Amino acid sequence: MKLSSQPEPALPIQPLPPPLPDPQRQSLSNGVELVQLHLPQAPVLCLDFWCRAGSALERQEESGLAHFLEHMVFKGSTTLAAGEFDRRVEALGGNSNAATGFDDVHYHVLIPPPAAAEALELLLDLVLQPRLDGDDFAMERQVVLEELAQSEDQPEEVAFQELLRQACPDHPYGLPILGRREALEAHRPELMAAFHASHYRADSCCLAIAGPLHELDLLQRLEDSALARLPAGGSPWTPRPLALQAGACTLELPRLEAARLLMAWQLPAAAHQDAVVGVDLLTTLLAEGRRSRLVQRLREELRLVESIDLDLNVLEAGSLVLLEAVCDPAHLDRVQSEVQRVWNELMDTPPAEAELERAKRLVGNGYRFGLEAAGSVAGLVGNSSLWGRRHNLQAPLDWMDRWDCARLSRELIPLLDPQLGFSLRAVPA
Amino acid sequence: MTVEARTLAGGCPLWLIHRPGPAILSAKLWLRGGSSGDRPGERGAAQLLAGVLSRGCGPFSGDALADLVEGLGAGLRCDASEDGTLISLKCASDDAPQLLPLLLQLVRRPWLVDDQIDLERQLNLQTLQRQKEDPFQLAHDQLRQQLYGQGPYGHDPLGVEPELQQLGREALERQAAALGQAGAVLVLAGEIPEAVEELLLGGQEGGAWATVPPQRQAGPGGSSGDHFAASQDETEQLVLMLGTSTVPMGSAQALALRLLHCHLGIGMSSRLFVALREEHGLAYDVGVHYPARLGAAPFVFHLSSSSERAEEATSELLREWQRLLEQPLSPEELELALAKFRGQEALGRQTCSQLADRHALVLGHGLPFDFADRCLEQAAELTPGQLQAVAQELLGAPCLSLCGPAAAIASAERVWQRRQLR
Repeated sequence: MKLSSQPEPALPIQPLPPPLPDPQRQSLSNGVELVQLHLPQAPVLCLDFWCRAGSALERQEESGLAHFLEHMVFKGSTTLAAGEFDRRVEALGGNSNAATGFDDVHYHVLIPPPAAAEALELLLDLVLQPRLDGDDFAMERQVVLEELAQSEDQPEEVAFQELLRQACPDHPYGLPILGRREALEAHRPELMAAFHASHYRADSCCLAIAGPLHELDLLQRLEDSALARLPAGGSPWTPRPLALQAGACTLELPRLEAARLLMAWQLPAAAHQDAVVGVDLLTTLLAEGRRSRLVQRLREELRLVESIDLDLNVLEAGSLVLLEAVCDPAHLDRVQSEVQRVWNELMDTPPAEAELERAKRLVGNGYRFGLEAAGSVAGLVGNSSLWGRRHNLQAPLDWMDRWDCARLSRELIPLLDPQLGFSLRAVPA
Repeated sequence: MTVEARTLAGGCPLWLIHRPGPAILSAKLWLRGGSSGDRPGERGAAQLLAGVLSRGCGPFSGDALADLVEGLGAGLRCDASEDGTLISLKCASDDAPQLLPLLLQLVRRPWLVDDQIDLERQLNLQTLQRQKEDPFQLAHDQLRQQLYGQGPYGHDPLGVEPELQQLGREALERQAAALGQAGAVLVLAGEIPEAVEELLLGGQEGGAWATVPPQRQAGPGGSSGDHFAASQDETEQLVLMLGTSTVPMGSAQALALRLLHCHLGIGMSSRLFVALREEHGLAYDVGVHYPARLGAAPFVFHLSSSSERAEEATSELLREWQRLLEQPLSPEELELALAKFRGQEALGRQTCSQLADRHALVLGHGLPFDFADRCLEQAAELTPGQLQAVAQELLGAPCLSLCGPAAAIASAERVWQRRQLR
């Protein structure tokens, strides 16, 4: 070694330069929230419709219905023929997609600014009045079953699904978003129509728009749209609280080439925004980059793993931190005990200032870099508005500054006790 | 957005894409020479070297380098692809003065310490092993063999296990000395600091870095292997890949292929998506793989379908390929493909990293900076007849690669044989 390593001096976290505009918030007369963010430089605009209709609100017989509905939406509406939406949006130079999570579903379109008004009308027609034709339903069920088969051919996904099943028993987060095969085979369009009617309601939806907004008079247009005709419902749905089950198991999986250690812990729910930022810092300190605790110990020094990752999944009923270590099956025991040891050390001695500063830089920059694209901005403001969190884009950086090493040690590190989490060892069958 | 073209002392072209606003800087240094330049017996060397570059350079040990980069919340990556090695830096623009000097130091003064080479080699070997869990990867590796055999494009950039195992410092030192000698280009996009050339040349020893701009030249070709190949795996689905090797990016026919790619595989209104997924419910994932290459680029249809539907999936996939040869696009289809091509361009220019990346790729292939804009203009002139002629010339004899259960492979093979006899 020619030089010993010298940690950089800690530097203050900089604000977002230049300050991004605050989101503009408006409501339609039926209560649907519209949130817009002006990004004058962006070459495209993102329209993002959010709804509190994720898989977690399915009843048992509705397994997979939230995600299946997301597929069926693209099969046309009362005004749009099957495939017409895609063809028209793509002919305008745009593209669209959708994603179903545990808590919510969203449908988004990226579109050149001159075509934004037309795309918005198409999107709302599509999402709010799906046709749910019987033949299309049967065909799309095949597609969903293929999606399920494709994920079951990835042993890693099988392992993660099993981890959640055991760690979140009696909670919808333990069930597959894609649904159970038998349930999917039994679904009927009428059940789906009822699901749509009861969950896609004014109080459960929000529309986020990010990009160059100058020429759009959206509120006027929206008052005449399908969105304004959505009935209001009672109070919006929220998932019931999670209580993660501690435990351990070993799973033998065919076609697995490397062993996995998977672990899950429960952390504060999305509503606790300040705590969520703290968890983000902690997982970064632990497993983001070569100089993070876990990567340095397990991959760089002891060379026990091919990779080790710690992912924070921010969720409404309780966030989940998921660890994945990929290793030789012969190293599994040691990997597990080293993870334990890294946690013990953090419990004994709070992290150093420089480690936290490094984490703050990584998290802060990651956040800033994410704000460059209209799609990620619309996703951020759309998701937080949907769940009643109406902060501006600077706020998460300010929350970050409230964290110091002592507070991390006191409030969050104890929550990552391996004894509080669920550990799954997946080994080749 | 303004663009400046400069040349660094020694000959490396430097392109500055000024994009004030988000206070971010993205830098991409493209070096001609990737895994296609791996010598026989040393397959995996380019990627191994790329991985080791960021494990110590100039005055920085691997740890010191990681402390500097991660301490500033920046990202620094080195990756080899088939045709080039790309060094990427992304940081807050205020931190650029501390980080920009690293780019040329990585190339010119890498440490190449045995211990770090051992680690990186071990990681690459483990990744190669783990990739075999993915049936798509298996089908893809097999197709690569069919299209390129033992040629320069015939292996995963990560390498070939027994050869990678043998690779050591000597091979990497030889390879490192040649970095950029076949051509290099540096593109910066975002908020660019003052006196950027001085920053880039900071910490250099032994004078200017002598290199040349990447030239336009023919890359590796294809080689005709087996037209049918299958590997058995106990999966639920059968993975099908149907493809052939074609022409380099920037060649006269490549633009027609790009439009066919848009027609067939971009978006939910694309031909393959509609025909195979919407009309037959045969697959969740279906599309076209057509990466930019200096040589004979692969042009591949891919899909995965339940084993019991192997016969139908194979017939429909072959039918779509055949349709391309026999039937010109309708004017409406061509117009939609053009709209997607333009849309893709706009969507690919959203962030500083995308801008730097796209231009580095184009310039690295020895093409002009405004290549993409020229393509947009030229594409509008192409006719359905011209697209069909290119399809007939280049796509006449595709190879089929399968991965899945034996029974599904047998059904698919029967369909394939009938087609051969026709």
